[in-house]
Amino acid sequence: MTTANNDHRPAVASSAQQAEAGTVPPASARGALSRVSARWRPDSLDIGIAVVVLAVIVAGILTTRFFSLANARAILASSAWVGITAIGATGVMIAGSVVSLAVAQTATVAAMIFLSTQQFGLPAAIAGALASGMAITALQGAVIGFWKANPIVLTIAAGFAIDGVAIWISGGSTVYPKVTAFNGLNDTPLGLPLAVYVLLGVTVLTQWFLRRTTAGRQMYLMGENPAAARAAGLPVARVTVIAWTFFGACIAVTGIFLAAFNTGANSALGGTLSLDAIAAVLVGGTAIGGGKGSALRTLGGAVLISAISDLLLLRGFSTGIQLLVKGILVLLVVIAVHVRSARGRR
Amino acid sequence: MIRRLASRLEVVVPAVALGVTLIAFLCTPAISGKALSTFDVYNTFQGLAQLGLLTLGLGMTMIAGEFDLSVIGVYALGGMIAVQAGQSSPVLGVLAAVAAGAAIGVVQGGIIARLRIPSLVVTLATYIALLGLTSAMSGGLDVTYGNAAATLWIDRPLAVIFSVPSLVTVAAFAIAAVILGGTRLGRQIRAIGGDRRASRVAGVRVDRTLAGLFAVSGTLAALSGALYNYSYATANPDPGFQPLILATVGCLVGGVSLAGGRGLPAGLLAGALSVALLGQIDAITAIPDDFTELLYASLLGIIVAVDAPGLREDLDRLKARTRTRRADRAHDTDARTEQGTHA
Amino acid sequence: MSDATSALVSDPARPQVSVEGLSRSFGGTPAVRDVSFAVGTGEIHGLCGHNGAGKSTVVKMLSGQLTPDSGQIIIDGRPVQLGSRQAAQRLGVALVDQELSVIPALTVLDNLLLGDVSVPLVNRPRAAAARCRQVLSDMGLDRLRPQQPLSELSIGERQLVEVARALSQNARLVILDEPTATLSDAETEHVFAAIRRVAAQGCSVIFVSHRLSEVLDLCDTVTVLRDGRRVATTASAELTVNDLIVQMLGEAPHRLVATRPADSRPGHELRIEHLRVPGRLADFSLTAQAGRVYALAGQLGSGASDVLRALAGLHPQATGAVRLRDRAVPFRSPLGAASAGVAFVSNDRKSEGLFMDKPVATNLTATRLPSLGRGGLLSSRRERQAARSLAELAGIPDHRLADPAAALSGGNQQKVFVGRCLGRDDVWALLLDEPTRGVDIGGRAAIHRLLRAAADAGLVVIFSSTELEELLELGDVIITMREARIVARYEDSVDGALLMRDMTHGAHAA
Repeated sequence: MTTANNDHRPAVASSAQQAEAGTVPPASARGALSRVSARWRPDSLDIGIAVVVLAVIVAGILTTRFFSLANARAILASSAWVGITAIGATGVMIAGSVVSLAVAQTATVAAMIFLSTQQFGLPAAIAGALASGMAITALQGAVIGFWKANPIVLTIAAGFAIDGVAIWISGGSTVYPKVTAFNGLNDTPLGLPLAVYVLLGVTVLTQWFLRRTTAGRQMYLMGENPAAARAAGLPVARVTVIAWTFFGACIAVTGIFLAAFNTGANSALGGTLSLDAIAAVLVGGTAIGGGKGSALRTLGGAVLISAISDLLLLRGFSTGIQLLVKGILVLLVVIAVHVRSARGRR
Repeated sequence: MIRRLASRLEVVVPAVALGVTLIAFLCTPAISGKALSTFDVYNTFQGLAQLGLLTLGLGMTMIAGEFDLSVIGVYALGGMIAVQAGQSSPVLGVLAAVAAGAAIGVVQGGIIARLRIPSLVVTLATYIALLGLTSAMSGGLDVTYGNAAATLWIDRPLAVIFSVPSLVTVAAFAIAAVILGGTRLGRQIRAIGGDRRASRVAGVRVDRTLAGLFAVSGTLAALSGALYNYSYATANPDPGFQPLILATVGCLVGGVSLAGGRGLPAGLLAGALSVALLGQIDAITAIPDDFTELLYASLLGIIVAVDAPGLREDLDRLKARTRTRRADRAHDTDARTEQGTHA
Repeated sequence: MSDATSALVSDPARPQVSVEGLSRSFGGTPAVRDVSFAVGTGEIHGLCGHNGAGKSTVVKMLSGQLTPDSGQIIIDGRPVQLGSRQAAQRLGVALVDQELSVIPALTVLDNLLLGDVSVPLVNRPRAAAARCRQVLSDMGLDRLRPQQPLSELSIGERQLVEVARALSQNARLVILDEPTATLSDAETEHVFAAIRRVAAQGCSVIFVSHRLSEVLDLCDTVTVLRDGRRVATTASAELTVNDLIVQMLGEAPHRLVATRPADSRPGHELRIEHLRVPGRLADFSLTAQAGRVYALAGQLGSGASDVLRALAGLHPQATGAVRLRDRAVPFRSPLGAASAGVAFVSNDRKSEGLFMDKPVATNLTATRLPSLGRGGLLSSRRERQAARSLAELAGIPDHRLADPAAALSGGNQQKVFVGRCLGRDDVWALLLDEPTRGVDIGGRAAIHRLLRAAADAGLVVIFSSTELEELLELGDVIITMREARIVARYEDSVDGALLMRDMTHGAHAA
């Protein structure tokens, strides 16, 4: 699965250290081995995740009802909403803009707009919600890209503003649609909620975008080394805006599903979406510093979190324990990802 | 001139923020029609107590260039431990909570400093885990604090406008100001935030200092949670994200930069007080919520603009362009006197 | 560090610090070979050598940043192992690095006191401020206030503060690595006075510099390194600048080859008029023609690097007029410069050049992605083709294309860095800052060939360097720079020693 390009890590640490000192690479025999192994050897992170997956499978075997079709559907279903947003967040993290703390508010506003434009038909309502999500995040992306504003501070500020807009739209209470054209969105073709199919589609689309487009490649480059990207004349600001705009579309999609499911939207609709999305991206193994990661990883992260929560639930553990395990999982993955990174800037 | 102002941002920003909010606070009778009472001041200081310790802990890690997202988790956990362990003896509860907070902080600080992992992700993970732990400890439900005597005692007005939590908060700021201003720790913390590589080169014990800072941050968060829960006689396993957001606003408005290297405990106090005042103004005047949110947004928006390097570059570019244009015009009017060395 | 002061017994004859048989190689290439010299108590010892002579490696070993492969470092009669900067500091070695290590976010006073173990835990503000003012005054920085934020200071002033910090730490040995590169003459005098004062108290000083007249002025003895070996250690009273140059270069290289004629294509030129960068570049003008290679010869602080960086868009505050192929170049942003056809190879390929964790192929195609497909898409076939042809052009073996750039040798990394600017029809000017820094001889020759080919293909090529051989070999036109200004321009045959004199000495007499 590891393609040569962007999930790559230096094969032999010592040769990289030597190379940093400006020296000659290892002797030919060792060099040949490292060349071959560089292409397919899974690194410690992937090994770690494989171990966790193995543990889940083993525990699942020992748990009744885990390996059932209905349960598999449940796992996928509960990962869908957060997953869609997390896929969008992946692009932003890869491009180096770290995180957004305004995600929940953005989803809420998109949901409200979706519900209040139902009378214009489903396509128009969807378009309206998407446009609003994209516009909100594109603006943030522009300030971050062109003015190099700190993403955390900016998105906190944006969160306030967007929340204010949400309160204004809803008049402080709940927004109800006048007409319900969205019932189709709650369908479950083949037993899986529509949202799951959308999640898979968005994952494939994003993966393709990151690997096969100029902008996607540039995101990896500027995320890994913003100074080098800048000096090389890459359009860093523009690509940042692209990443954020796509993120906004994903958030809006999640908002649409939330609205369709709850049939009403108040300013608390977004809930813990911001942090849940970040957790899914991190568990998938994307580095918070940027330059590495993929949509497939995030999908894996979202599903893994969902599966572990499901497993714990089936075994009778409380939501509290589920959260605790989720936190520990994020911590372990993050340590594995970042300890290897030679990003000793500080 | 702007550069001089910029370098004293840690004084100017909180001073302006506090000044403006104080004036707004004093003008509230104009909107609400009622005169300000000492109760309003008491409430303001209660508000300060609620987020002050969080602001201080978070702020100190921010000065060192880190971001402790877990303070909210420690706050919840500390509060829960205090309630559960302190039903008969509140002091025991507070001690247990503070011990837990310190321990969690030390571990986090160690991971962040030794393993050189960005604090944002470590503290995010810890936050999630702690939220889970707190929920597990209480079965997901609120836990009532039965010690009514303690609850009454803790909120008893002292000197009319203060209470135990607010005095503890002010005391904490005072201690921090003394330590950071009066010892070499303050210098070291700002150095670590300003340029970590240069600090190591200069011989500062970065790892130890960071671990200590996170321990302090955890301690303050746990203490804050304990006092709050005693005051409200209940432990909520999920206080939500808002307290962290407000604490962050308090730090930013208090003159601290997320990039690190800048900030003073006095500024943090002013920042926290400003946010408390805003909260109280909101309560008194019943301003519509959306307006309040937009207010916070604009406040932070200004801070974003001030801290944005790209904006400064654009201004440099503009200045250079006008300078060139002026030079060109002068050059044109001069008849052919070529200055400088032409190769 | 406090126990170092008690050990300072003034005995100029007895060496306080000495190195014996110091050697160090990097991956088979020796950087320092069997170097030995001694510095007495209270002696100011100069260390000179051209680029690649091994000066910085010796400094790194003495300050604990590198361990020697063989040889000994002896401090106060005892051989020591310096495992880290901290260990060296504890043994009384202070270093003023080339890279500034003062912190702009702190005040002047804070910077002076930072990390000094003799500073008490509890602040003594009055004593500290008084000491600070004394130290500042010794450096000629009376105009600064202790509470002044360092960010308000110029680069030169910050450098002075850093020197002050090192000198006030009661060390046994203070190493200063090019401390005056960014200083004015007056500021340099203050540094010298402070150094002399510290030496009079028994501290040993090693002064590394390329400013030869300053070295002779300040130092008691001068050790010259060449190709990793010690050439001579002589009392400065017996030396002149020319003697030093001869020691440093051996036989002064000379260029006899006639330069290439200018390209006959008229519109194909890069016109730079009155390029200025406040604080870094005073005034620079040049009309560079396609087909020729222009060399900017200047040491650190001369402004040579800043000319290139300004043209590449990395100095938003630069003023002046730049035209390439008769079109104005928006040189205040990298995007603008790139859109006008300027390609830049910086002197730091690790942090400002390559993407170290990404494969070589990705690095090679990084700047031409739009041309590898249509409508924003990437064609993997075209990408592979482009990567392969560029690798061939740059001299990188095909089988290394999938390796991360970090796994390559310095020379190959540089080839990737330069190579990715070539073969593009939207690049008209190629600017390179120290194009063969950290590159071995073979790699250097290869890169020179690349640059010559680029010029022949019609590009304007301008590079900056401090390597005499490189300047003479590659540069059709050599422009010497010092202290943010142009010193002279050479097109015909020129003496290496003359270039050296310009770079280290400006227009002053020996």
